[in-house]
Amino acid sequence: MDGVTVRYGGTTALAGVDLEVGPGERVALVGASGAGKSTLLAVANGSVPPTSGSVRVLGASTADRRVRARVGTVHQSLELVGRLRVVHDVNAGRLAGWSAARAAWSLLRPQGLPEVLAALEQVGLADRAFERTEQLSGGQRQRVAIARLLVQRPDLVLADEPASALDPVLADRALALLGEPTLARGGALVAALHDPGLVRRHCDRVVGLAGGRVVLDSPVTALTAADLAELYRTVP
Amino acid sequence: MTTTLDRPPAAPPRLRRDRRRWAWGLGALAVLLWSLAGAGLVTGDVLNPAGTAQFGRFASAALSPAVDAEFLGVLTRSALVTVAYAAAGTALALVLGAAGAVLVSRTTWGRRRAGWLAARGLLAVPRGLHEAVWGLLLVNVLGLDPWVGVLAIGLPYGAGTAKVFADLVDEVPRGAYRALLAAGAGRPAAALYGLLPPAAGGLLSWSFYRLECAVRSAVVLGMVGAGGLGYQLALSFASLRWEQVWSAVYALAALCLVADVAGRAVRRRLAAPPSSTRRDPLLTTAVAGTVLLVGWSVWYLALSPASLVAGRTAEQLAYVLRAAWPPATDGGLLRTVGALAVDTVQMSVIAIAVALLGAVLLAGPAARPARSSAGRRIAGALLRGGLLLLRAVPPPVWALVLLFVLLPGVLPGALALGVYTLGVLGRLAAEATEELDPRPRAALTALGARPVAAWLYGVAPRAAGPVLAYALYRWEVAIRDTVLVGLLGAGGLGALLASELATFDWAAVTTVLAAVVVLTWLVDLVSDRARAALR
Repeated sequence: MDGVTVRYGGTTALAGVDLEVGPGERVALVGASGAGKSTLLAVANGSVPPTSGSVRVLGASTADRRVRARVGTVHQSLELVGRLRVVHDVNAGRLAGWSAARAAWSLLRPQGLPEVLAALEQVGLADRAFERTEQLSGGQRQRVAIARLLVQRPDLVLADEPASALDPVLADRALALLGEPTLARGGALVAALHDPGLVRRHCDRVVGLAGGRVVLDSPVTALTAADLAELYRTVP
Repeated sequence: MTTTLDRPPAAPPRLRRDRRRWAWGLGALAVLLWSLAGAGLVTGDVLNPAGTAQFGRFASAALSPAVDAEFLGVLTRSALVTVAYAAAGTALALVLGAAGAVLVSRTTWGRRRAGWLAARGLLAVPRGLHEAVWGLLLVNVLGLDPWVGVLAIGLPYGAGTAKVFADLVDEVPRGAYRALLAAGAGRPAAALYGLLPPAAGGLLSWSFYRLECAVRSAVVLGMVGAGGLGYQLALSFASLRWEQVWSAVYALAALCLVADVAGRAVRRRLAAPPSSTRRDPLLTTAVAGTVLLVGWSVWYLALSPASLVAGRTAEQLAYVLRAAWPPATDGGLLRTVGALAVDTVQMSVIAIAVALLGAVLLAGPAARPARSSAGRRIAGALLRGGLLLLRAVPPPVWALVLLFVLLPGVLPGALALGVYTLGVLGRLAAEATEELDPRPRAALTALGARPVAAWLYGVAPRAAGPVLAYALYRWEVAIRDTVLVGLLGAGGLGALLASELATFDWAAVTTVLAAVVVLTWLVDLVSDRARAALR
């Protein structure tokens, strides 16, 4: 990411952000609400075009569908389609590799069911596979979103507070699920997190954002309580 | 193997399909195939090659409509007649509806369910017959009197309005009404203060919507002889004056378009009034203007109560009623009615299938997306304009055009209704797509899904419910309209009704009308059950 600026109407969400994430890195994005974490992730997965500056992901542009297929995003579970059954919502992670006909057929006869059930088993929801997603609780939906990412098998995981609705044990498990398989493939994880405990246990590097700028970039081991307090101070 | 399992592994979950929905879906598919086969698409001849040359002449006249001063004068006077019928008919419908609402509301009947059901059932009869059918019946009683057009709109619209007004008032929370009753107010006074004000917005909105519809109905009534734009169109059509036909089509499309746009503007304002304690100038103007319009209409049409109470009218009514009862029940007629009822159902099914398919294909491009290129925005605006035109031209006009190139039968009627319904359904599907949360689809695009796949997973599952429910509702409307296109020669029960009316065979007319009402009622029932399965 090179000098990326994003403006929505009159407000500036990101102001000249330079950021480089290498393979095998686990990066925590930290910052107060409105600091630009979600926008940064949206720019990285290509859903928000930068107003200026340039973005290269996995060595290519996000305009390319095949590149986007290798980037997995967990939003705050808002990306799910409530009317679909859980199995289809998880399978949506594989749409990039499917023809339109196969995607349509899968709605009648779920394709690749064993992998879907395995992914749901990992997040502890295998028994809910054929319910409608809208019937699940907030935390369960967040785990469906993680299962979708597991079947997508991306090389870069972008996670926007992926554990906000989970209890501490599930939250640890969720982050491990997001990070471990990806890193084993030589990929990277970038997660917006609020909980310092999760940051310390699951990340190597901390990037602090305030007012759309990078104000902190250090290894987790060097992170101090004073740094965090400074980040969450209300921005005037 | 030393591992001990605490419990046997749970059986893997199984996909359980919603049987009821699958049954409805497969049933609908079977009915559609049966209808297509019945329309002759599989086996018979449907094209009319002889008409192609005539169609060419007709189509080429589209660019050179008649614009001579004399004909434009005729068109202007005709348009005024049409508007006057619409306004006077709606006014009558509102008066009848307000009175009827008292008779059919649950509030009136309380726990006397049998009485309430009987009152409702009675209303279904005038509602089940199309305005044009009322027009043809009334012309036999009243002769060529302006009351024919006004009553033909007022009676069926009045029955529909009574039902809607009653529902609106019944849906108002009871608290305020009960409190007034408890305080000793009489029932009418309590209803006036406790029930009417909360329902007022809905009542007014419905009234304007009906005025909009009445313009279209008045055009159609003209086509069966009541005067106005529709009548001019039919005259020009019969004398093969294609330039004049096109002028009339443009005029009536413009009229319906103005009604559509103005009506929607007023209704949107009613749904979201500006937050201010002052009177809303737009609504005040709309209401005052409409009241003036109704007064002018009564004067312009020279409506006089005298012709309603004239002795000749009573004699004629008595004669028709005597001749119409008992209905004809000979085997030949019943067999014909049965076969044509099947035609009518097939016609409506194909019409809805055509409209639904078109609406699904056009919903995406016609929707106003949040972010898009200038080219896409222009294409979307053109498409929305096209849909507006499709619904501005009443279905019988489409039928007349299609009869050039298709042989009379189920297909031209079905396509005419389908094209018209597409105009209505396409707008609704586009609006349903616009209202969806864009994030789920954006997430699918972000992970690399193809546009079609992103639409299939991110949009279709959420938009399907409302669009299908509305399509089913339009099927109820379409079954009434099939009779109308039939009256003008496209086949089905309407064509039989036209010929029985032409020979004054009143007993047979009663039989056909009874069949129409029963058919309408059955379609309402099936559509209602299907919509319940969708929820």
